[in-house]
Amino acid sequence: MPDLGVGIGWRPELDLTVERLAGVGFVEVVAENIDPGGLPESLRLLRARGVPVIPHGVSLGVGGAERPDPDRLARLAACALALDAPLVSEHLAFVRGGGVEAGHLLPVPRTRESLEIVVENVRLAQEALPVPLALENVAAIFGWPDDELTEARFLAEVVERTGVGLLVDVANLYTNQVNLGLSAVDALDTLPLAHLAYVHVAGGHEHHGIWHDTHAAAVPPPVLDLLAELCARTTPPGVLLEWDDDYPSDAVLAGELARIRAATVRAGQPVGGRDE
Amino acid sequence: MSEQARARLAQAQGRVVASLVAGADPPEGFDAGRLRVQAAALMAKRRGVVARLRPDAARAAGPALAAEFAAYAAARAVPPPGYRADADDFAAWLRARGLLPDGKPRLWSRLFRRDRG
Repeated sequence: MPDLGVGIGWRPELDLTVERLAGVGFVEVVAENIDPGGLPESLRLLRARGVPVIPHGVSLGVGGAERPDPDRLARLAACALALDAPLVSEHLAFVRGGGVEAGHLLPVPRTRESLEIVVENVRLAQEALPVPLALENVAAIFGWPDDELTEARFLAEVVERTGVGLLVDVANLYTNQVNLGLSAVDALDTLPLAHLAYVHVAGGHEHHGIWHDTHAAAVPPPVLDLLAELCARTTPPGVLLEWDDDYPSDAVLAGELARIRAATVRAGQPVGGRDE
Repeated sequence: MSEQARARLAQAQGRVVASLVAGADPPEGFDAGRLRVQAAALMAKRRGVVARLRPDAARAAGPALAAEFAAYAAARAVPPPGYRADADDFAAWLRARGLLPDGKPRLWSRLFRRDRG
């Protein structure tokens, strides 16, 4: 996996901020929000500066019952080519059912039977994409009654059988620890970190004992602690901050990137400092 | 992979989505309280995206945005297939109720002009 450094999710509302922020090693763009035939000027500028831009899909649904839609895959592939991206990322999630869009990422039933379906879906996606694919663990509010495997074990099996890369979202691990009682550290021990492509970090809000992964607040200390835990196990090729709403000042975002760097240094593994 | 397994998963996922966005009963074995929280989170996510896509509609709804959006969503059997259609449908729904003046969403066009470059 390429060495990416510390990055931030590019959003149209943050375009000038991302261009101005010092030390942004890479960015991610929600693939569904761009036209590969007419990239936003800001992304063209970042590419011209040599900043890698990773298309991040949110609607493929490789955890769905249906095989991935060829049109959606072709669009992701076109985004990867237009951005000359080193990889594309998506989620271990399903996003629709019975012909109805859920509108966001939902956790798959983690059974042996659905594992076979996800593995086939991931292989089909990999065949259709011109660059490697990485899959992200999701934040969940509910679980399935017939779950047989933890998400980390399920993802580990998908990685083992398909060679897909891992996008570990430590904020999602924290969310699942708060909401479902799943140990985030156990997940870090189980996930095959040798296949790590990069890491997501984000803030959220607690409401009536449930953690909502809103990407609209400062990263809470326990999430930075999890990042440090991860960095104690491996040197992540990249760490990216997601901030999607209630955008703060440039100074606040710069401070968040500095906190992320500090958490990686705390673990003795400054991100992006590897020799290739 | 057996097609029967895919059919079983399709049915199970369809029941979960129907309970989350179309008001169906929670499928057996699920924590109904958690599904309600998930449904509310999906609604908030949808409302946030719609508000960003149509700031004119969000501004017109003002402090009643959450209530207006919930009423709009409840008036439909299922959400539209995409956020853009959802945003435009919400704006049309506000307009039909006299809450949004006619005319083009000029602010939206200005904000995104640069991206169309």
